[in-house]
Amino acid sequence: MIKTSEMQVVSPKSLDECLYLLNDQEKNNRLIAGGTDAVVRMKDKKWTPDIWINIKGMNELRYIRKDPSGIHVGPLTTHTDIVKSKLLQDKADVLTFAAKEVGATQMQNMGTLGGNIGNASPTGDTIPALYVLDARIELSSLYGTRTVPIEEFFIGPGKTVIQTDEIITDIIIRPQDTSEIGIFEKLGPRKAQSISIVNFAASINLDKEGHHCSSGRLAFGSVGPTIIRAKKCESMLTLDRFDKSLTHNISKVAWKEVAPISDARASSNYRRDMASALLERGLLRLMKRWENK
Amino acid sequence: MKKIQFHLNGKKETVHCPPAKTLLEVLREDMGLTGSKECCGKGECGSCSVLIGDEAICSCLILVGQVENESIVTVEGIGLQDNMDVVQEAFIKEGATQCGYCTPGIIVAAKSFLKDIEHVPTVEEIKTALGGNLCRCTGYQKIITAIQSAARNKFALSGEA
Ligand SMILES: Cc1cc2nc3c(=O)[nH]c(=O)nc-3n(C[C@H](O)[C@H](O)[C@H](O)COP(=O)(O)OP(=O)(O)OC[C@H]3O[C@@H](n4cnc5c(N)ncnc54)[C@H](O)[C@@H]3O)c2cc1C
Ligand code: FES
Ligand code: FES
Repeated sequence: MIKTSEMQVVSPKSLDECLYLLNDQEKNNRLIAGGTDAVVRMKDKKWTPDIWINIKGMNELRYIRKDPSGIHVGPLTTHTDIVKSKLLQDKADVLTFAAKEVGATQMQNMGTLGGNIGNASPTGDTIPALYVLDARIELSSLYGTRTVPIEEFFIGPGKTVIQTDEIITDIIIRPQDTSEIGIFEKLGPRKAQSISIVNFAASINLDKEGHHCSSGRLAFGSVGPTIIRAKKCESMLTLDRFDKSLTHNISKVAWKEVAPISDARASSNYRRDMASALLERGLLRLMKRWENK
Repeated sequence: MKKIQFHLNGKKETVHCPPAKTLLEVLREDMGLTGSKECCGKGECGSCSVLIGDEAICSCLILVGQVENESIVTVEGIGLQDNMDVVQEAFIKEGATQCGYCTPGIIVAAKSFLKDIEHVPTVEEIKTALGGNLCRCTGYQKIITAIQSAARNKFALSGEA
């Protein structure tokens, strides 16, 4: 295994240069953006590339903008950038709430959206938010680009469809309707910087009074090998008046719909209980926010 | 070995070192600046906080090869005994330090937090902004008081409030 002192760090000046570097399959290389996952893994000797391809300073991949095809968020956008973005606060509130829960200030200043996706942890906080915003992930290599819907992107803990010569070059999300409102809930051991035990994102369309929901998307993290879109729960949203008793009934279905494991951080049943509680609390908070809007 | 240049506490510096060394190791071992401390080494405690641009980051999780040409400010750049910053003065006045291990990181984080706001922060705001900095001695109360007092002094000096 290569020693840290022998690893190289190469900083491509442009995306093209980066794609060339990634294309060199003889070399054992790995992308590094904010480094908040990568350097921890390097210290644990889990990731030991010969070359770190440092994209941290690649500003052409750091942007937030809107066009007719959706809102485009560059992979090098930091969590702090997301939290501060007026466009996202307005049209993708759930993503700003999720980014606000990624660790503490220092981690939000360093960590990037592309890194959160690339790390592919089932606990990644932005990922359930990206699910409810129907995100599409653009991947580029020297041979072209392809766009993968987020549902097809993750194939297991730490595993994605990204090929070794590819890099995430764009994250495209659906702007929320004016009748749509989102929420993000998280349970972790320590408020400011903790890996989620369970997290939950919702984005829901409501009528003006907030009495009826016409459609909605609900997603849970940390309760399965990848994020779970709770489709059974979603189908209940429109069944009846959108109120306390409906959300309570949905939360009971959530208990069954999630598929958590037991690990060092929490047992499976505890995660089910918490998924159910976060959904109920989240939807109640969402109703309150809608009333005050 | 690689030649790497960056601005450190306002001065242009050049180091020759392995580029996958962490910035924290370079600051302490190559630059002789031992204010920034290593405690957890994995982003959990904030004792290694430094400013890049004007944002606080954990220098234990960034490779020196990633900070080429960046402007870095450590606690030493914020102030030394003879030119202390209002934040540092407030920490002394309020007795907001005991063993002192967390203090440099907290000064750095507080400095960047106060730069962004124009009012005396509430306890809740301070807890959120400094949630990434652990202290095992003080129980935080005096740290919070010191940051509020620094904010008051800062605005008094600049005549903003
Ligand atoms: C103390 C601490 C607390 C944390 N708390 C949270 C938390 O509360 N919630 C949470 O979700 N995460 C948390 N994290 C994890 C981490 O901060 C986030 O996942 C962050 O978004 C990672 O971004 P990065 O830029 O630092 O990624 P890096 O560490 O640079 O990279 C992570 C992975 O993504 C790959 N990658 C990066 N950019 C791209 C790209 N453009 N294309 C393809 N692959 C890419 C890298 O090769 C690597 O495999 C925490 C980490 C620490 C150390
Ligand atoms: S030593 Fe860097 S965060 Fe603890
Ligand atoms: S003063 Fe000892 S850790 Fe904070």
